[in-house]
Amino acid sequence: MKHTLLYRIFYGFAGLLVLSAFAFKIFQPIKVLPRIRLSPAFSLTDQEGERVTNEDMRGKFVLYTFTYTNCPAPCANLDATMQEVYERLDEANLGDIPFMRVTISFDPARDTPPTLKSYADGLSANRANWIFATTNDDALLKTIIGAGFKAYYEKKDDGSFTFDPTFILVDGWGTIRGEYRYSTEVSTADRIIRHLSVLADEVNNATGSAKLAYEAAHLFLCYAQ
Amino acid sequence: MKINRFLPALVALAIIILLGAAFYFLRPHTFHGTVFQSPEEASPFTLNVADGKTVSLSDFRGKIVLIYFGYTFCPDVCPATLGAVTQALKQLGDKADQVQVIMISVDPGRDTPEKLAEYVKHFNPTFIGGTNTPEEIAKIASLYGIFYQVSEETTSNGDYLIDHTATLLAIDRDGFLKVVFPFGITSDELADDLKYMLR
Repeated sequence: MKHTLLYRIFYGFAGLLVLSAFAFKIFQPIKVLPRIRLSPAFSLTDQEGERVTNEDMRGKFVLYTFTYTNCPAPCANLDATMQEVYERLDEANLGDIPFMRVTISFDPARDTPPTLKSYADGLSANRANWIFATTNDDALLKTIIGAGFKAYYEKKDDGSFTFDPTFILVDGWGTIRGEYRYSTEVSTADRIIRHLSVLADEVNNATGSAKLAYEAAHLFLCYAQ
Repeated sequence: MKINRFLPALVALAIIILLGAAFYFLRPHTFHGTVFQSPEEASPFTLNVADGKTVSLSDFRGKIVLIYFGYTFCPDVCPATLGAVTQALKQLGDKADQVQVIMISVDPGRDTPEKLAEYVKHFNPTFIGGTNTPEEIAKIASLYGIFYQVSEETTSNGDYLIDHTATLLAIDRDGFLKVVFPFGITSDELADDLKYMLR
């Protein structure tokens, strides 16, 4: 009688282990953001004429977007999304993790630091919470934005640009964790806020044995929508 | 009769041990760096190496490629990392020939292919040191997340130093970026991860 009980306990325990592995895959209790690729390194000049590099962003969650200040109406949507994410940051529960917004201009000829400065002022932005930057090295700029962040842009003959409005979320290790191509169907800000929250959970909790669970989530591709 | 009473318990015990072993051997390997599951291949590059030759990342498909950005005047950071890599490869034994180490110069102004070859040879004769034009190096480094700049500091001889991101990057056998190791990775940690990648 005693042994039958022991046997049941053992068997139950074994079954539980198998079930929990299945449950993890099916219910995905932990969601993560994929580690997509490395964020490109850069050295740019910001709205204050100061140098800003990717190393300055280490340890911060950074939301990037790419535009030019002479852009007609639709670009205001990009700024509105950047602003909305910043204003709703509380919802993401970042804890102690610093957050930064960076807008990189692909029009260095016209977007000089003073131009960027007055544009930033118009959005009540300052370099502590929203950096506007670019570089005169056109080839490097194309490498950074085009090849590194994979955001397409091309100058037209009339001096305006064709480009794909894009937001990129980068973690404190310089890894791209989210890419958002502009869409009118779903609120990009909602998604970004949700993703910031998922990312913060991982950074704040993935230590010790919990790290294994988070790595399992990466392995099982339990990606947040 | 006695055996029958013990048998179920023994079977159950065996299952537990097997499951424990299965969990131990199948558990995800914990890498000592940031792991990537990138959907695209690592950015391609071509370098000028000694004897007027060139090498490209794609030449090493089938091998694990460890990429390190540094320069030959580098006083401490680069030798520390390359030293750890050298020790880690020794721990791999015969499998070390499935790993190719490439050092890319962030000092194209001073590092010639010959100087780089001479420098990396001190660590391991199989290591490759390469460079390119300043424009091309800037592009390659940016796409691997490597920032570098001429430092305000100089050595006692008046030589300028270069500040640079000191990560070590591992490309898997299919040409995808797999792990980015932080500066300070030990040879044991590196050997552990390389053994896993070579399993």
